[in-house]
Amino acid sequence: MTIATQRFDDNPCRPRHFKPPPCVAIVPDGPAKQALDACRTRLLVTGGLFALVFAVVALRVVEIVAVGGGTAESQIGRFRIVTAPVPSHADIVDRNGNVLAATLDSPSLYANPKQIVDAGEATRKLVKVFPNLGTAEVYAKLTSGKSFVWIRRHLTPAEQYSVNQLGIPGLEFEHEERRVYPDAALTSHVVGYTGIDNAGFAGVERGLDGVLRGRPEPVQLSLDLRLQYILHEELQRVIDDFTAKGGAGLIMDVNSGEILAMASLPDFDPNHPATPDPDHPVISLADRMFDRITLGVYELGSIFKIFTVAMALDYGTATISSTYDASHPITIGRFTISDYHGKHRVLSVPEILMYSSNIGAARMAVAAGAQTQREFLARLGLLKTPKIEVSEVAAPHYPAKWREVNVMTIAFGHGISVTPLSFATAAAALVNGGILRQATLVKIRDGYAPQGQQVISPKTSEQMRRLLRLVVEHGTGTMAAAPGYVVGGKTGTADKVSGRHYAERKLLSSFVGVFPINDPKYLVLTMVDEPHPNKQSHGYATAGWTVAPATSRIIQRIAPLLGVLPVDESSSEVQRALMVESLQGKRIEAY
Amino acid sequence: MIKLSTLFWLVVVSTTGFAMFAVKYGVQSLEDELNRTKKAIIAEEHAIRSDGAEWAYLTRPETLDEMNRRHLSLGPIATTQLRTTLADIPLRAAVPVAVEAPVVAVADPPAGSAPPTILTSTMAPASLEKPMEATEVAKPAPAKAFAKPVPPRRPRSLDELIAQVAASR
Repeated sequence: MTIATQRFDDNPCRPRHFKPPPCVAIVPDGPAKQALDACRTRLLVTGGLFALVFAVVALRVVEIVAVGGGTAESQIGRFRIVTAPVPSHADIVDRNGNVLAATLDSPSLYANPKQIVDAGEATRKLVKVFPNLGTAEVYAKLTSGKSFVWIRRHLTPAEQYSVNQLGIPGLEFEHEERRVYPDAALTSHVVGYTGIDNAGFAGVERGLDGVLRGRPEPVQLSLDLRLQYILHEELQRVIDDFTAKGGAGLIMDVNSGEILAMASLPDFDPNHPATPDPDHPVISLADRMFDRITLGVYELGSIFKIFTVAMALDYGTATISSTYDASHPITIGRFTISDYHGKHRVLSVPEILMYSSNIGAARMAVAAGAQTQREFLARLGLLKTPKIEVSEVAAPHYPAKWREVNVMTIAFGHGISVTPLSFATAAAALVNGGILRQATLVKIRDGYAPQGQQVISPKTSEQMRRLLRLVVEHGTGTMAAAPGYVVGGKTGTADKVSGRHYAERKLLSSFVGVFPINDPKYLVLTMVDEPHPNKQSHGYATAGWTVAPATSRIIQRIAPLLGVLPVDESSSEVQRALMVESLQGKRIEAY
Repeated sequence: MIKLSTLFWLVVVSTTGFAMFAVKYGVQSLEDELNRTKKAIIAEEHAIRSDGAEWAYLTRPETLDEMNRRHLSLGPIATTQLRTTLADIPLRAAVPVAVEAPVVAVADPPAGSAPPTILTSTMAPASLEKPMEATEVAKPAPAKAFAKPVPPRRPRSLDELIAQVAASR
């Protein structure tokens, strides 16, 4: 039948209207069939591939629309979505969120002199906007024939607006950033300053440069701007009252190591670090840039006696009721150790601290021994460079060979120079229960006490608190008392070294105060460099008359801000907590 | 029949084509708008940053201290002003005291007396509570009946304070 149909269809005489009936395709056997099969397979594979590609496209569409949530972005220039430029350096804020340093947009103006049509006209207009620019200088720039010259860096928004208003072709803006310090000199030594490309040059700006770079959220410091202002103001007052060369101070949370305020005077304006101070043009730039808290090392004098007493009590070489003979000055080699507030009799340990006896402290240290003293000071971190977030830190100076004379002088704070920062960190450990915590300028989250190192026993720490209270109640630091806030502390007046000798008239007066001493929370360290006596101080420039009253004022001003409530200091509860048993029933001599 | 299916596909193809271009242009214009908005947001953010810095500058402790000295003369809180427990706070008098000048009795008088013009302006809010007495105070004649001139009362809100400061100029 098949043969018949084929024959029939091939018939050339077949009428046009005649349609042959449907028939089965003729598949010839042999090579033709193989070729046809191969074709079919290829067609199928190609079709399959196309289907696959379309399936991929379809799936991608579904993914973009349904799964991806519209995150796909066009890569074509015109449709690229603009993204906000992250400032190159993060802001710095204080513990309450007040801005201490901010990065602001500050466009810089440049010109393409090749595009400037009328250089004379353009110069006249530009000089009108920027009166500081020299006409000749601008004209020379605009006619230089180069294709890029800076006209002025870091414009204010108002200046940018004025330049745009001029409508001069060939003037362009370059996007630049600038660090701004709203509080200017107030936080200068802590925050530091930056160069023209925002690279940190000093302070936290340098110390935390890596952290600040490219960070979206601000860095929060432990500093409290209100406290900083109070400290700064009171230090300035002491400097003015006693015509001193400089001053420094810090306020520290003794239980966390956070520094709440830190100031060093004279200081500088980080917005314009190199310009001289209009009020005091004589003070050199180096002096103003010098951070006395972290970079200055000082022989702090008598306030160092707290370490001598703590050492003797902690190692058990003395008890609260031990006595030392302070009736005669000690002569050792070419040195004579005598007392400023001499009592010329045998003194007990509380009396040595209360009346600030050099002889007593020296004898106490000799009884403990050189090895013990060195080990104890090392344990308190006083023999190594302090670690803090600012870049300027100085290593302490101490004798390489710890001889007996060194033991004696170090006992009352001479012959060893440390930074006030190291001192405050160690002093905080003496009162907070004996735990040494590294000082920090970065805010520690609330309720978290960082790991510390137990350096003295809690019992010694408690005894130290009682002794420090005694100094303010009856000893050299009575003027530091702040009614209701139970201040404890120690005065220190050191003779400054000038050349190879101690200069009699050049003093360094300092005071370390802790409040409330029955439950220590905050430490205030103040220091004044070369104070001169005035009428109100009856000819004294010692710590008790200079920085102790300042500490009292500072504490009275900051305590309400810190939420420290005043207590009745004469209440039996407070009295019992701060009682020194060995002095009970004895008449306490005024110093 | 073949013609009908061709027509169908033609319609489908042209509809999809049209829809595709419509969507494409829609997306383009939306992206343009998005870009404009984002640029505006960036400009706003920059403005907020500079405003933040300016706010920090204007509210720096130094300025606040000087403003306080000029307008408010507030001093540090003295220990005696602080009450640590609830028991320390004295109770209010049980019976309302019949006083001639009820509102001003609580205000602590600053040194020097205030001119009568301030008196009327600062007494105005009090009239809400005690209209009778306030109108009395507002009249100059009964005001003379007081032993001493009435000092301006302590402002209750910022607006009131500003009004007082403005009136004292």
